[in-house]
Amino acid sequence: MTHPAQTDLALYTTGDLPLWRSPLVRLHIAGCASCRSWIAAFDSDRESIRRLAAEMPVDVNWDRMAAEMSANVRVGLEAGECVASRVRRPALGTGWRVAAASAGVAVLLVSAWWLNMPRADSVALSRAMQKIAQAGPWRGNGLALDDRGPTVEVSASGIQLQQNGGTLGMSQGQQRPINVTLSVQGSARARYIDTDTGQVTITGVYAQ
Amino acid sequence: MRSRVFLTLFGVAALSYGQASGPASLGGQQNLAHKIDFPHDAPVTLAGDEWGGSAATVRGGAYAIDVRVALSLRNASQRRIRGITLTVLAQEATPGGKGSISVPSLDVAPGEIFSVRGDLHLLRPIGVGVSPMVEVSLDGVLFDDLNFYGPDKLHSRRSMMVWELEARRDRQFFKALLEQAGPDGLQKELLASLARDADRPQFGVQMVRGRATNTDGERDLKFAFLKFPDAPVEPTSGMARIAGNEAREPKLVVHNRSPRSISYLEMGWIVRDSQGREFLAASMPSEMRLPPSSSSQLLQDAALRFDPRTSVESMTGFVSSVEFGDGSMWIPNRAELNDPVLRRVVAPSPEEQRLVQIYRKRGINAVMEELKKF
Repeated sequence: MTHPAQTDLALYTTGDLPLWRSPLVRLHIAGCASCRSWIAAFDSDRESIRRLAAEMPVDVNWDRMAAEMSANVRVGLEAGECVASRVRRPALGTGWRVAAASAGVAVLLVSAWWLNMPRADSVALSRAMQKIAQAGPWRGNGLALDDRGPTVEVSASGIQLQQNGGTLGMSQGQQRPINVTLSVQGSARARYIDTDTGQVTITGVYAQ
Repeated sequence: MRSRVFLTLFGVAALSYGQASGPASLGGQQNLAHKIDFPHDAPVTLAGDEWGGSAATVRGGAYAIDVRVALSLRNASQRRIRGITLTVLAQEATPGGKGSISVPSLDVAPGEIFSVRGDLHLLRPIGVGVSPMVEVSLDGVLFDDLNFYGPDKLHSRRSMMVWELEARRDRQFFKALLEQAGPDGLQKELLASLARDADRPQFGVQMVRGRATNTDGERDLKFAFLKFPDAPVEPTSGMARIAGNEAREPKLVVHNRSPRSISYLEMGWIVRDSQGREFLAASMPSEMRLPPSSSSQLLQDAALRFDPRTSVESMTGFVSSVEFGDGSMWIPNRAELNDPVLRRVVAPSPEEQRLVQIYRKRGINAVMEELKKF
């Protein structure tokens, strides 16, 4: 058999149990001698306390006594502060609100910028950050000044211009060249052929 | 409350920015303002132009310009045109702002109309204005008597001369082959050229100029040279600095063994890596003033970067063209180009590729007809 908690029985005794639980406890008490004995004990205790209270002096000013006790507690605490090492509590106040607002603005800014930045610039930025991290000038190795100025690259796909690791564009994007050549003077040529007429067209791009 | 208002205002501002700049960065385009500017005395006149598909797209701080142009030009001169080069200019000083379209191996009679098509990708800073976005002008025209017309700002005379000399050399070779071995012999040679074209390796090479590089583990590597007995210039020594997959600052010493002064030399630079892969890395052009029987050192302030897996093992140089002081030019003959390495890595002339394409499309008889025209 499951009995109600003693706290519930105590509250039932004083009539402080919530209305929806009171009928359940009453129903249980009707059939449980053990719990009835607890109720009787609580009643007896209340009667004893009431009797003791009645013996207190009639002219005691309870409000004044409570104020004095509070004042004494406060004096004790302040005295303790004087002798103990002072621990500064973090100043929250309105600071956290400013920090949270700043963080929100920063997130919004970065998101808006990232979403609107051209992909080539994003790639270039991310490569630049990677290179800074890899080169580690703080390690004292000296920073290799890589990719200073635009570069021109040839591959089987054609000619690419690149800057800071990002691709600026490729000539003849639609067609595959039959030959590409690179000059050390900073230009590149791609050769295309018209499959119908055989006419050869050579496009050149100058990076310098 | 105040911070809530601030955040809301900022959110609206950020979204407005997104609305304003988003379409441009995602491919927003504008009509391509263009200009075609030929001198009044030019040997070609404009008969028509098409710019379909051309567009300018905002990318970062620049316009990325796709130039897709088809021009119909009329030969307004009294001579046959063998080649033409057009300058396509988006911005003179911007890297990638200038391009060219050349058509070699032409045979355009006086009064005839011919077409020049080009598909280029150029760059132009946003602050320069928008009109015209692209300007097409004439850099040069080469005639059948090897005379040249044009401002030659891109040194197109030299390139077109080389292509024309190669075309004459190769047509003569194929004609001789046709006479000696008949259509079957010609067909066999065209098929061999086709096969070499398919097998030719093309590796990615990047060129960087004025670059300070990490010099860890750098070493000097000497060039070997292909000997062309007929060449007016002989490379005597050369080296480059190698670090990992990079080769930089090629240095060459060349000797003029001809009785004529030399004004320009172009050398080919072949690289072989530790895996045995061999490819044409770059060309090394040099302007010079080299008197007869004298030597000169050529230094290029450039670095080539190869595929990360490429470890340069050896390098070979060869003379690919020479210009004499009087403007005439020398190119290697077919026998000199018959070197196994060159046959494997160097592309044939534009004319040989044109003839091979005619063979692929229309057969051996069409090639024979084409050879008879010259």
